[in-house]
Amino acid sequence: MKIRKINPAGQREPPAERPIKRRATKIHYGMSEIVITIVLVILALVIIIPLVVPLLFSFKTQLEFAYHPWALPKAIRWTNFIEAWKAVRIDQGLLNTLVVCFGSIICTIPPAILAGYVFARYKSRVTEILFYAILIGYFVPVQMVLVPLYRMEVSLKMNDTLYGLFLPMAAFGIPFWTLIFRSFFKSIPREMAESASIDGAGHWRTFFSIMLPLARPATVLAIIQVFMGAWNDYLLSLILLSDQNKFTMQLRVASFLNSYGTDRMPRYAAAVIISALPTLILYLIGHRWIIKGMLSGAIKE
Amino acid sequence: MNVFKRKAVLRTEPAKRKKKDPGRKVFVFLCVLPAILFLAVFLYYPIEETFRLSTMKTTGLSNEVFVGTDNYEKLFRDEEFLAGLRHVFSWAFWSIIIQLPLSFFIAFSLTYYSNKLTKPLQAIFYLPNVLPSAITAMLGKFVFAPNYGLIVSLGKALGWKWLASIDFLGNPDLAFWSVFAVATWAYSGFYVIYLMSRIEQIPKDLREAAELDGASMWCYARKIVLPELNYPLRILAILCTVGSLKLFDLPNMMTMGGPGNATVTLGITLYRHGFINWNYGKAAAIGVVIFVLSLVFTILQFSLGRKEDETI
Repeated sequence: MKIRKINPAGQREPPAERPIKRRATKIHYGMSEIVITIVLVILALVIIIPLVVPLLFSFKTQLEFAYHPWALPKAIRWTNFIEAWKAVRIDQGLLNTLVVCFGSIICTIPPAILAGYVFARYKSRVTEILFYAILIGYFVPVQMVLVPLYRMEVSLKMNDTLYGLFLPMAAFGIPFWTLIFRSFFKSIPREMAESASIDGAGHWRTFFSIMLPLARPATVLAIIQVFMGAWNDYLLSLILLSDQNKFTMQLRVASFLNSYGTDRMPRYAAAVIISALPTLILYLIGHRWIIKGMLSGAIKE
Repeated sequence: MNVFKRKAVLRTEPAKRKKKDPGRKVFVFLCVLPAILFLAVFLYYPIEETFRLSTMKTTGLSNEVFVGTDNYEKLFRDEEFLAGLRHVFSWAFWSIIIQLPLSFFIAFSLTYYSNKLTKPLQAIFYLPNVLPSAITAMLGKFVFAPNYGLIVSLGKALGWKWLASIDFLGNPDLAFWSVFAVATWAYSGFYVIYLMSRIEQIPKDLREAAELDGASMWCYARKIVLPELNYPLRILAILCTVGSLKLFDLPNMMTMGGPGNATVTLGITLYRHGFINWNYGKAAAIGVVIFVLSLVFTILQFSLGRKEDETI
């Protein structure tokens, strides 16, 4: 249709050809669309199946499972879940994990916003040097400093405390988020701050009443990301926590994996469900935000 | 005109300087202070300690003897460390060969045919990525466990003895690939949504023009989308490599590096030397090796970013 309009001579193209071509391409697209959608659905099933099959296994007794693993359970029995709950104690782990998550949000984001703002707006030789000093942190993997970190925390009696976990976690997050907030504040037009300072606002006033509100969307995404990071941490908590009462959710699950085998599969399956449920609920509620937050971090990386 | 200009300059310059000087320094100082404090305690000091420790032989908690580069020399004769190094690089290689093309296929077809299924499918593909690694490892064991695992049970139900008798995690030849399969399941989702967001940034008229010219989906993917994604794909390849250098969680929880050294990574050797054998010097030396290797790749990533500044 478009081609016909563009044609400068105003001539109509022979109408016989067009419909045949379009029909042909449409059928072609339809076929491959169906095939590819089927492939995608199969791949999605591969992702979902390991999360759904435990449900089928978990209501059975060991004997019932050994003979008919794939049949529907004869009765709904909760014994496996009760045993798995006692073995994992996910509730306690969850509480500790939440403390670590909030602690790490509070300790990561305000310093990163402040530093990012200064590095974006106050250029001098000193801030430049300080910026590179913080950038160093971006290049250092956690693994590199595990041993000294552990030794330091032991000598400060900070190991086996939750703040001893989220403070270093924040230190590892700050460089990255400083970079993000720096590029965010750089993208805000300079005139906004200048007009504020002409109106007599000082540095603090300009920052808190103009810049900080503008940074709200970026901050929300940062909070989600830092939360997910702390939620998923394993290595640091493995090194720094040895008291069972302080274990995070991850460590609870990991110690379950160490001490209970897969031989009693129904109980194991129940433990899988119990352990995965908090994250699944979180994702179900906030997947749009989680994906958005993940992307906002990734694009800047 | 000239006089006016000079006057204006004279009037504003001293005023500006006067107004800015005192408060500005305090503000800058107080803003940067918290970040620097955090890094000084939990990063700069441990970094310095790592370098120092890596040249020490430590036996007790306080007994340290300077040995120079002895720790490093020992590392390169250490079977376990060399296995870790090998695994880390083959892991990176196979992630780039398998995970990235798979993710590109999923991302491209999801964006090419956007319909009612696109959003739910995207959410499903990303789901494993938010699961904490302990739970991913748990699911991996659930799938690959001997006797009662998902695949073995499936083999039994179908009557395929060969499938039912495979020990995925206990067999040294298979353990690496089993863990790798779980990682592919878990991590590809991130690549998918990242590539999707990049494909969506490609101007729509490019696709319309290609379709008008009769380009097929395959042709459009190869001639237009792939070149446009050149930069993000390279970034992902580097992220894969750096990620493999730091690989620890999944192999540690699924197989603990075993059987033997079959799934040992650099992180696991560090953990074994430092926190099981309490050999701090050697562990610190491994830490330095991980740092140097990841530094090389991170600098590569930054230099790639510089070239296409508009994307950052």
